[in-house]
Amino acid sequence: MQEAERTAHEPIVPGRSYGFFTDTSLCIGCKACEVACKEWNELPAEDGGLTGESYDNTSALGATTWRHVTFVEKIGGPGGRVTEMAPFQSNWLMASDVCKHCANAPCLEVCPTGAIFRTEFDTVVVQGDICNGCGYCVPACPFGVVELSKVDGKAHKCTLCYDRMKGGFEPACAKACPTESIQFGEVDALTARAVARLDRLHALGQPDAYLYGVPGGPGATGGLRRLNAFFLLLDRPEVYGLPARPSRGAERIAPGFGEGLLAMAGFAIAALVALRKR
Amino acid sequence: MSGYRGDTYYGRPALKPSHYGWLVVAYLVTGGLAGSAAIIGALGGERPAGRAARAIAFAAVAVAPLPLVKDLHVPRRWYNMLRIARPTSPMSIGSWTLAASGGLAALQVLADLLGARSIRRVLALPAAGLGAVLSIYTGTLLAAAATPLWSSVPRLLPVLFGSSAMSTAAAAVELASGADLAELAIAATAAEAISLEAAASAWREARVEAPLDEPRLAAAHRAARLLAVASIGLNVLAVATRSKAPRDAAAVAAIGAGIAMRALLVFGGQRSALRPTDYFGMKTAEELVQPQSPTSVAMRSRPSTFPRVPRNGW
Repeated sequence: MQEAERTAHEPIVPGRSYGFFTDTSLCIGCKACEVACKEWNELPAEDGGLTGESYDNTSALGATTWRHVTFVEKIGGPGGRVTEMAPFQSNWLMASDVCKHCANAPCLEVCPTGAIFRTEFDTVVVQGDICNGCGYCVPACPFGVVELSKVDGKAHKCTLCYDRMKGGFEPACAKACPTESIQFGEVDALTARAVARLDRLHALGQPDAYLYGVPGGPGATGGLRRLNAFFLLLDRPEVYGLPARPSRGAERIAPGFGEGLLAMAGFAIAALVALRKR
Repeated sequence: MSGYRGDTYYGRPALKPSHYGWLVVAYLVTGGLAGSAAIIGALGGERPAGRAARAIAFAAVAVAPLPLVKDLHVPRRWYNMLRIARPTSPMSIGSWTLAASGGLAALQVLADLLGARSIRRVLALPAAGLGAVLSIYTGTLLAAAATPLWSSVPRLLPVLFGSSAMSTAAAAVELASGADLAELAIAATAAEAISLEAAASAWREARVEAPLDEPRLAAAHRAARLLAVASIGLNVLAVATRSKAPRDAAAVAAIGAGIAMRALLVFGGQRSALRPTDYFGMKTAEELVQPQSPTSVAMRSRPSTFPRVPRNGW
């Protein structure tokens, strides 16, 4: 029996799609996911220092930060500081951000070397021994996840703990999460669980809750189809630093090529005119 | 979900900018020059302009990869660019096109040197086709990224880069061979100027134009516009007076316009990616045609209003 079956109630079988359901309504901002990720993946610590941005001193995902807990304090009101708050989460939103492992991952689709590939678990991983540091995946990611390392110059991001999964272990962040805010599993099963959770939150009187990254919803727009790592959010995506309508760059190639080649055909005619003068 | 309300996460960027800088600008200029010179060379036959264009295409395609390899963070692995072919990656398309163009350019120059006209004629059509791809793919390369300044003009960028490539190539052939390619130079430079204006208007419409107001980018924008217009004017003057001096000046101005335009796009993109409000609030090409609000199965009981969140209100 794999360990993942005990801890995530899910066997890990090659050929199936795996991902994260990050239920931010359960996040307590403990950052255990950030720490577990760094520990397992042997990622170096960031520069210390306080940002003054609530309890977030990590600030962003990057080459050596593959989980990032965001903190949003909704403490101000139109007339200054609010004096009354709804009891739910005390207007303090916390969310653990991560690589979305998109179904149509733009970083993978633009990678010219094949360093970024789709694994047998339907996750997206960078092979460090292939990457030549061209850096195209960095601006291509619609979520600003991938980054080049200052140390080795190659692209780095969350692997959904590819090595752990191969050994039958759930990813380190999901295992470390003390509140089940980060849930690991097969994407379809996770989605069903997420929809049930959403219905329950709505029934409890939290109509703001919605899923980010499931088919047809925000985050899975513009040809991205589905995010294998998806989220339950309680405020607009932008509040968490996420785009409401990300898009897949590959869909912009064909129209551009069409018009560009048409223009070049026009110039070829102009060239013939110019060359045939004498 | 439509209707962005200006929220950001502490104003932090939601995208990562590319690291592209002057090395990539240098490639964009030489790669485009190589591609469009190959087209002129394929059509130019045995005229001096044709031979000069083929020589320029060869020289440019030989030099162009150097800044690209230098720009890699692991340059010794440059050959991994030819490890796979991936049609969803403009950089993969470009790598193969560049490699094939290099081979064809070398063969054509060799054929010119040996006087093997029939071989050169056979190579002309594929060389022109690859040259066209080489001239424009860099535009799609940038447009396929998430950077708002690039992704907001996916149809215009290849036309802009292609016309600038042809304008640069016509200028280089004129300077090298002394030929008069006024019709081509005017058409290409005018197309470059017009597509740059069209892009500026598209950026305003998509609400991503803010970075271009920054002083150095604004200067590059002005330089690209002025040099392109100056080049067209000087070329018209050259045709009217049948003199060579204004034609050479026009050629120099056209090359300058191409460099300024590419620097504007590359460095403007870095600034653009760092502005979360541009990214979140950007109107996509489809929305500009037909405003839409994607509805969601997931947002079953969608909140009537998303709460406005003032940041650090105390």
